[in-house]
Amino acid sequence: MNMANKNDKSRRRFLQKLGIAGASTVAGSALLLQGCSDSNKASGNKVKVLTADNKLVEVDVAHLKPGDKIQDLKYLQKRGREGIPGKKFVMVVDLAKCKNARKCMKACQSAHQLKPEMHHLNVLEMEDPVKKTSYWMPKTCQHCDNPPCVSVCPVDATFKRQDGIVLIDNERCIGCRFCVAACPYSARTFNWTEPKNSDKMADVTYDMELNVPQKKGTVTKCAFSADQLRHGKLPYCVSACPNGVYYFGDQNEDLVTNGTTKKTVRLSHLLEENAAYTLMPELGTQPSVYYLPPRESEG
Amino acid sequence: MKNNKGYHIIILFCLCFLAVANVNAQSDWQAPAEENEKLSPFLFDDDMVLEGRIAYENSCTSCHGTPGQDDFTPMSPPPGDPAAEQFQAQSDGSMFYKIKMGRGTMPKFEDAFADDELWNIVAYIRSFNEDYKQELPNMEGVVIPEYAMSLSFDENVDKLVVKVFAEELPQPEVSVSAYVMGTFGKHLLGKAQTNELGIAYVDVDPTLPGDEEGKVNVMVKATKEFARAKVEKHMVMAKPTERHSAIEGRHIWSTDRMAPIWLKITFFVSVFGVWFALLFIVFGLRNIKKAREEA
Amino acid sequence: MNETIAKGHLSEEQIDKDLLKNVNWGGKFKLWMGFLTVSLIICLYYYYQQLQNGLGVTGLHDYVSWGIYISNFVFFVATSLIGMLVSSVLGMMKVEWVRPVARIAELVALAFAMVAGLIIITDMGRPDRLLNVFIHGRVQSPIVWDIAVVVTYVVISGLLLYIPMLPDIALCRDKLNNVPKWQQKMYRSLSLGWNNTAKQFRLMNRYTRMLLILIIPIALSIHTVTSWLFAMTLRSGWDSPIFGPYFVSGAFVAGCAAVIIAMFFFRNNYKLKEYITADHFDRMGKLLVLVALVYVYFNINEIIVPGYKANTADAKHVHEMLYGHDSVMFWLVQLGGLVIPFLLILFKPMRKPLPLTIIAVVILAGAWFKRVLIVVPTQLAPYYPIQNVPEGWTGYSPTTPEVAITVASFILVVMIITVLAKLFPVVPIWEVKEDMNHKNNK
Repeated sequence: MNMANKNDKSRRRFLQKLGIAGASTVAGSALLLQGCSDSNKASGNKVKVLTADNKLVEVDVAHLKPGDKIQDLKYLQKRGREGIPGKKFVMVVDLAKCKNARKCMKACQSAHQLKPEMHHLNVLEMEDPVKKTSYWMPKTCQHCDNPPCVSVCPVDATFKRQDGIVLIDNERCIGCRFCVAACPYSARTFNWTEPKNSDKMADVTYDMELNVPQKKGTVTKCAFSADQLRHGKLPYCVSACPNGVYYFGDQNEDLVTNGTTKKTVRLSHLLEENAAYTLMPELGTQPSVYYLPPRESEG
Repeated sequence: MKNNKGYHIIILFCLCFLAVANVNAQSDWQAPAEENEKLSPFLFDDDMVLEGRIAYENSCTSCHGTPGQDDFTPMSPPPGDPAAEQFQAQSDGSMFYKIKMGRGTMPKFEDAFADDELWNIVAYIRSFNEDYKQELPNMEGVVIPEYAMSLSFDENVDKLVVKVFAEELPQPEVSVSAYVMGTFGKHLLGKAQTNELGIAYVDVDPTLPGDEEGKVNVMVKATKEFARAKVEKHMVMAKPTERHSAIEGRHIWSTDRMAPIWLKITFFVSVFGVWFALLFIVFGLRNIKKAREEA
Repeated sequence: MNETIAKGHLSEEQIDKDLLKNVNWGGKFKLWMGFLTVSLIICLYYYYQQLQNGLGVTGLHDYVSWGIYISNFVFFVATSLIGMLVSSVLGMMKVEWVRPVARIAELVALAFAMVAGLIIITDMGRPDRLLNVFIHGRVQSPIVWDIAVVVTYVVISGLLLYIPMLPDIALCRDKLNNVPKWQQKMYRSLSLGWNNTAKQFRLMNRYTRMLLILIIPIALSIHTVTSWLFAMTLRSGWDSPIFGPYFVSGAFVAGCAAVIIAMFFFRNNYKLKEYITADHFDRMGKLLVLVALVYVYFNINEIIVPGYKANTADAKHVHEMLYGHDSVMFWLVQLGGLVIPFLLILFKPMRKPLPLTIIAVVILAGAWFKRVLIVVPTQLAPYYPIQNVPEGWTGYSPTTPEVAITVASFILVVMIITVLAKLFPVVPIWEVKEDMNHKNNK
């Protein structure tokens, strides 16, 4: 809130100069979701952190500054598994708008340190069986509510969180690739060889919400940019799209925000008005990604 | 040869056309004259530039790229780099209008950003132009009232009731827009004008889900000429909704701890049953040893 | 009339001599083991490469993420199932002729089951995290069930090999005086002071019977669970409720063929023509006909049912199998590896040792490729198109390291069988004697 206050003050100064004592309060983008993980009470959960002068000290998790916390694997692992309470994240993909710009794929691959052939998000050219035309379909992990990949994991390395996101813990994954075989959407990819930039990333603390650094011999897939959501930001792909293809939001609020125009609309209305569908609903996977059908472009 | 010359001219002509086409996204799109002359009531300071930058990076970078880098997306017509001369030659009002109203592939940001937020973006774009000098509107003699707002919800008619006052007097003909604050953006509930009692009514969809008590975050802006006010309130006006965790209950896909009971029992009873029998046999081998002397 | 136990002319001393003869460490054995060891080391070098560079040294990729390692695993589990069929099902039905070959079946079962566990490790992206399966094991995952049953099956197979062998180990202890000290010591402790007392026989029979009963559900579940690794997914071609019995019936085919090959090898190399007779081959041939018939039946079901309904993804899968990309392998395996051999062994001359063994080799090879056909084509027919990936990802061809590591698993099996067959008599001596006495007394 500090930043917002400061902004406020200087703005007021100007307005006063103009003879306005208006109550314009443009709140800075407050960290909407901060409340779930930060509290001032001591949690009794101690962690070791490295200070600026390279000393290892033990402190209570609750007393860490956000900057310290993200250095601590134990904290990140716990946060990653818990998820964000009260949320149920959904994505809506408007196929009528996709023009295959592939900005989403690029943003995704660079955020998650993926090699060019690895896709958390893949824009596919699909055939329309009726019209005999083709359309572009971005395909991410569907974050199913009945996820077949999670069912088969032998070690709880991939799991579903309370906010609906299916994540992977690559500190635990044994690389059996059962989940890859089980996913009907082919949404998962595997680090067959040493990941991109592995030497540069060696010292980076692993954050499962970003799944970076990638590790050789483990599975990786779309995480709905859980690291971004935590800070009230849209996923990398969603905000990179120049064509307004993606909507993203919280099903509990019934609101989704378009990544390009930032327009926020009612999820239920959007789905109903556009005859939205999910991919292969007959499989009973209950995806969290909805598709609005491709149409003749309206300009 | 004559023919050859004509050929050159055609190429030259094409090149010229391409050069023109490349910049025409800005040049052939004119804001209405009245909008063109519109001026920002705010002084473009560092704070405005900073906020404009956040808004720009979220909403504009995907097409226009980073200003000054010429890395905009190749589209037709090209969106152009906001730091480019062609772009900066426009008036503030023209930029404001184009961002607000959009055209073709340029989205309309009217619903996403309030006027002051649009001016933030203009401020950010201007920060790339060293020669720019902001032209300020003539405010002399203008008295700008200081608004106060009170929000309430009338559940009989499902309307948000906004009262706008200035120094305890109701303000008529004030434009009011009400938003519900979502996780990633604000959802426009509706826009209305205050009546002579200073009251504006905005329809609220009764199916809108709130929290357990039916509360949502509401933000209301009131503007009239240079006067503007904004208020945010966490208020009861939506359908009370219980928020369920997506991992409630025991499922095949749950973690091991939350595995279905029948599965746990079946698995462990079978495994321990078989191993109990095996251990019985292994320990029984001692009896074979003992039985070497015939009784 | 029962030629398999027509040994009336043999004395007990002769039987002891014949059947203990193979328990030695001859030059031929050393040469053979040396060859196996060198081959194994070469193959293990490739595994070292895989450990260093990751699974990228294989031909696997995101669309075919399970390749010949997994199909080889399925094949090994399948082959190991024969121990259960021969010694347990037929043994308990008092089918007398299987008694001399039951131990060979158990040897095959134990060796294949042991190595199956290792193959799974070679397929892991992070073998260093193997312990996670025990620390974080998740009871809902078929992999956890599979590990539980494979381990259990190895232990039961081991016990089922060991306990009925006690009298023979005691015989080795008493008769073999010219073997190394450690070996004598081993026989002494392993024989558990066996003294041929009636009570010892009673206990042995009791424990053996318990194991024979126990092994039936375990053996069925080991292969059913292995089939579930596929059937529990939503992929077309795998998503089939008959996968359990389909795999089990296929397992008996592969196992019978493996036992026939082992029988032929021991019969010729250990000069056991008197004990493993032509009649044994004839009967194993008939058994093979029976199990192959059941398997053909399941194969027809697997193709006809989805092919008839032709829902989008299944139709594509079946089409690829019958006419498309995988059709050559499919028809070679189905006709060459199953139907034609099966028709051939209907004729008695084809059930003679040599022709039957040759047919068994063909069937076993067919069975191996059949597993590849189960594992790979389904992955190449995903629901969504394979795009924006390297060209090679629309197919799958195993690389040298992958093949070498697979060969290593076979070498290991042969090594285990070889060593066990050199330490212990491969034909149960006491049972042969018992049969003979029983027959003579009649």
